[in-house]
Amino acid sequence: MGVKIDPLKCTACMACELACGYHRDDAFALLSSCIVVYRTRDKKDYFGVILKEEEDLVIARPEGLEVKRIGAVEEGGGGGDASAKPMLLREACDLCEDRDDGPLCKQVCPVDAVYLD
Amino acid sequence: MSNPLSAVNAYNRGLARGGAPPPPPALAKARGGRAPRYPRLGVYTGAGSSHSWLWFAESLERLGFYDLRFLDHAEIAAGGLDGLDGLAVSGGDTFAMARALGQPGAKALEGFLAGGGLYLGACAGAYLMLRSSQEPLCWFNFVQATIANLSRDLPQPLMLPEKYKTAYGCDYVFHPVREAVGLSCAPGPLGGEELAAPLYGGPAMIPASEEVEVLARYAAFEKRTKFLAPRDLAAETLLGLAAVLRAPYGRGSLYLFGPHFEHPGFPTANRLLAAAIYADLPERQPERGPEEQAALDGRPAKDWLLSIKRELSNSRIVALGLEDHPARWLIGTKVYEPAKLRVFLEALWDRLRALGKAPALRGPADALEGLPGSLARITVQARALKQGLDAGQDTQPLAEELFPGLVGAASQFMKIYFATALAGLDEDRDGRRLH
Amino acid sequence: MEFLASDQIAIVDLASGEVETEEFSDELCQEKIGGAGINLALYNQHADGDPIVLGAGLFTGSMVPGSCLGVVTAKSPLTGQVAHAPLTQYLGMELKYSGFDYIVIKNAAAAPTMLWVHDGILDVEEAGGLAGLDVWAAVDQVRADKGDDLIQVLGTGPAAASSDLACLMNNYWPSGDRFGLGHALAAKNLKLVAIRGLGLLEIADDEEFVDQCVALQGEVKGGVWAGKKGLLDLAKGMGQDALADWLAPLVHRHRANFNTPFAANSFLFLQGDPSALPEPEEAEMGVLLTDLGAAALFQQMGLELGDAGAILKQCAKLGLDAGLAAKVCLDGGKTDAAAISGALEGLSGPVEGLSGPFSPATPKTAVFGVDQAGDDAWWTRRQAVAHIFGLDPLFVLLAPELSEAKLVELAGIGTELEFSQEGLDAVIAEVCG
Ligand code: SF4
Ligand code: SF4
Repeated sequence: MGVKIDPLKCTACMACELACGYHRDDAFALLSSCIVVYRTRDKKDYFGVILKEEEDLVIARPEGLEVKRIGAVEEGGGGGDASAKPMLLREACDLCEDRDDGPLCKQVCPVDAVYLD
Repeated sequence: MSNPLSAVNAYNRGLARGGAPPPPPALAKARGGRAPRYPRLGVYTGAGSSHSWLWFAESLERLGFYDLRFLDHAEIAAGGLDGLDGLAVSGGDTFAMARALGQPGAKALEGFLAGGGLYLGACAGAYLMLRSSQEPLCWFNFVQATIANLSRDLPQPLMLPEKYKTAYGCDYVFHPVREAVGLSCAPGPLGGEELAAPLYGGPAMIPASEEVEVLARYAAFEKRTKFLAPRDLAAETLLGLAAVLRAPYGRGSLYLFGPHFEHPGFPTANRLLAAAIYADLPERQPERGPEEQAALDGRPAKDWLLSIKRELSNSRIVALGLEDHPARWLIGTKVYEPAKLRVFLEALWDRLRALGKAPALRGPADALEGLPGSLARITVQARALKQGLDAGQDTQPLAEELFPGLVGAASQFMKIYFATALAGLDEDRDGRRLH
Repeated sequence: MEFLASDQIAIVDLASGEVETEEFSDELCQEKIGGAGINLALYNQHADGDPIVLGAGLFTGSMVPGSCLGVVTAKSPLTGQVAHAPLTQYLGMELKYSGFDYIVIKNAAAAPTMLWVHDGILDVEEAGGLAGLDVWAAVDQVRADKGDDLIQVLGTGPAAASSDLACLMNNYWPSGDRFGLGHALAAKNLKLVAIRGLGLLEIADDEEFVDQCVALQGEVKGGVWAGKKGLLDLAKGMGQDALADWLAPLVHRHRANFNTPFAANSFLFLQGDPSALPEPEEAEMGVLLTDLGAAALFQQMGLELGDAGAILKQCAKLGLDAGLAAKVCLDGGKTDAAAISGALEGLSGPVEGLSGPFSPATPKTAVFGVDQAGDDAWWTRRQAVAHIFGLDPLFVLLAPELSEAKLVELAGIGTELEFSQEGLDAVIAEVCG
């Protein structure tokens, strides 16, 4: 079971990213979050969410959810279009195992775009 | 004990302040009955080293070893080992290290060991000292043991193909697993413990002399072990074989660690590193030559810190934006990703605040003088790299300039950081980092 | 200020290029709380330098729902009064994490200048290379130069040099400033302020604060806005169904401001298929609609949506407030697309009916049937609350759960300082002028 994101519900509000940052640092900060909104392609209105798991990178693109095995050998060689060490300094999602109420990102998402599957 | 390092840290700080505290249980056995003495250690940052030397800096700091010197290949060849009790060499590109150190470096190391020096080599730092017939590795045949994880015919890797194997003559040194592996230590300096430590391409070893002692063996795979080769092949290649060796050389000794005992995520392994240091610390402090240390305080120190902060911030911002970029560069035999930029920069950034609290900044004059310019160059290069990547240009030449420059700047920074921290301890101030 | 703050105020003298920093004291926070409250105090303190003050609210960047808002306080070239312009989307949050709680910009630079604000460093840099660029090109350029696409840019466009209709731009999009503060920035020869914040905000009682924020998030989730998204729903919620229907064909996706539950920005695709989801090849697809004002006027004029979108994009590049521009054009009898487009360069005020310290970009009419909507005094007070605490100025109208009592309580939990309703009343009275 892991955290998933419905990209079409997502509004890029970053509440999940902020929550995860708090889960890591016990303060408000965004550098340690393992759930990150990608929002640099502003003029194209192209945005989504990336989640780093132990083995996988879960990428919620508008056109669909993609799960990439970190470091996996892609067919035809090469490593695909994700970094071999994505978000190297960020720890993988631990499903907020220390919280009785479960994943904080899911709890704060205002549009229920974050779910567990 | 909640943090296995805190007792060692307190002991070391006591020693650094000139006291004679009783060693904690974790070190008592290693110390034996010998008089306590605060060691001075070198960390290799020269050609061929990967970012893992930062792990040595981190774990040694957590253990309370502040009397650290950061040395590159040229400094080693030029007598930089004089006055050191030990030298830590971490992971990277073994051939590049051997080539850069060359025969002058090998000679310097031989003299250092013969005189009683302690060598701690992890991963590439271990390979470097194993017996080899190939130049330039054969200049460093200080430990009579060989590499076990060698093969000519290999199955396709399951993942991370660039981490799977490295050419070694007609064979390949190959790495069937990565990340945490289970180890079982023999009684002795490492105290018969079972522990986990991460393996990132380090060797399994076969002793070829009775003088070589096996201190730990690969014992099991862990939940976090990642398999690059089928599990049975991985088991056959590693399990039961030597993961840590100790070998004498002259009056000195060498510890070779296949896994990274210095990795900051593995405090038990870190503690055993301290045990190893104390078990084979030379009896007498080696002669120290006069040291040229400069100091900055007041306004000049403030301005210096501001310029360092400015440039670190500038390049760190670029590095963060690139942390997930799929670019890779092959430099020597090592693959570098953009995320590595952040690894170096965060290590420095993390220490900047503590440096700002010191009453005065200390360090070699050339490091204090040169660091602002070095970091300004890193900013320019990092930005150019990002622009090149965005434009789809070939960024290999830029990366080849940027990464060694970054390592050099990080080394300069650490020289200043630890010299300042040590002086802070002398003045009975809290030299610890403010985590 | 140890908590919910970076503990640093910058005072920039553009005339000399010097930057001084001051500690952000507990006393200042306790007395003026934050955002517009402190901006105004700093404005008054530095009034002789004709200052423009940038500040984040007490909760900006925190987990309090709606915590997106930064505030720019300056004298409006259009009203002649001190005004508080909203910085929404990610700009307020970025400022909060930049290492400065407040930035006072005094006097004028002799040559085109930009400020580069990052990690508690404020660099005054020459901006000759940016001076002639339109808003979008300048944002792209500064991001390329500094090597990061997440840099947030508070900027101006070519219109700012001469037009009092020039607004502050939030990256590529209008900020919601209806006071011509883009013109005020340009009068200081300040092309833009580029901000990147990688900081960390400590919280006094973090567990209690976060628990309460999570509970609050749960409460607001069931509010009047629930299930609604974007400017189409907002238009409908204001009873403007025709406007919603007019906009609908080109709307692509909806975006929220930082940590704000209701997504109040909608993107209009001016080319390609608005229902397409994969990343387009083209670098620019259209325009982000951040408020309904301009769109409503263009619809009233009978413009085709595509033409209106093109004018909105033209305004965004020029750094011109499209809402004010539309009003001036309408008042001047220009109502066809070509005439409006042709008139934009060089267009200026005055604009009738502008008053008050808060931007009318936030609707004053009833939205989603909120009880007190339409009550001017209530609207002004909620705006003051938003601009003091750093909350989305629209969302505070939709979320009565963000009550003053709750915010005062959270302020105490988050900072360990004592706040009271009376203290808040006093600050509200001040910022409302
Ligand atoms: S909290 Fe929900 S809506 Fe907001 S960015 Fe995360 S997934 Fe998207
Ligand atoms: S479940 Fe917890 S750790 Fe995982 S992404 Fe969400 S907040 Fe982060």
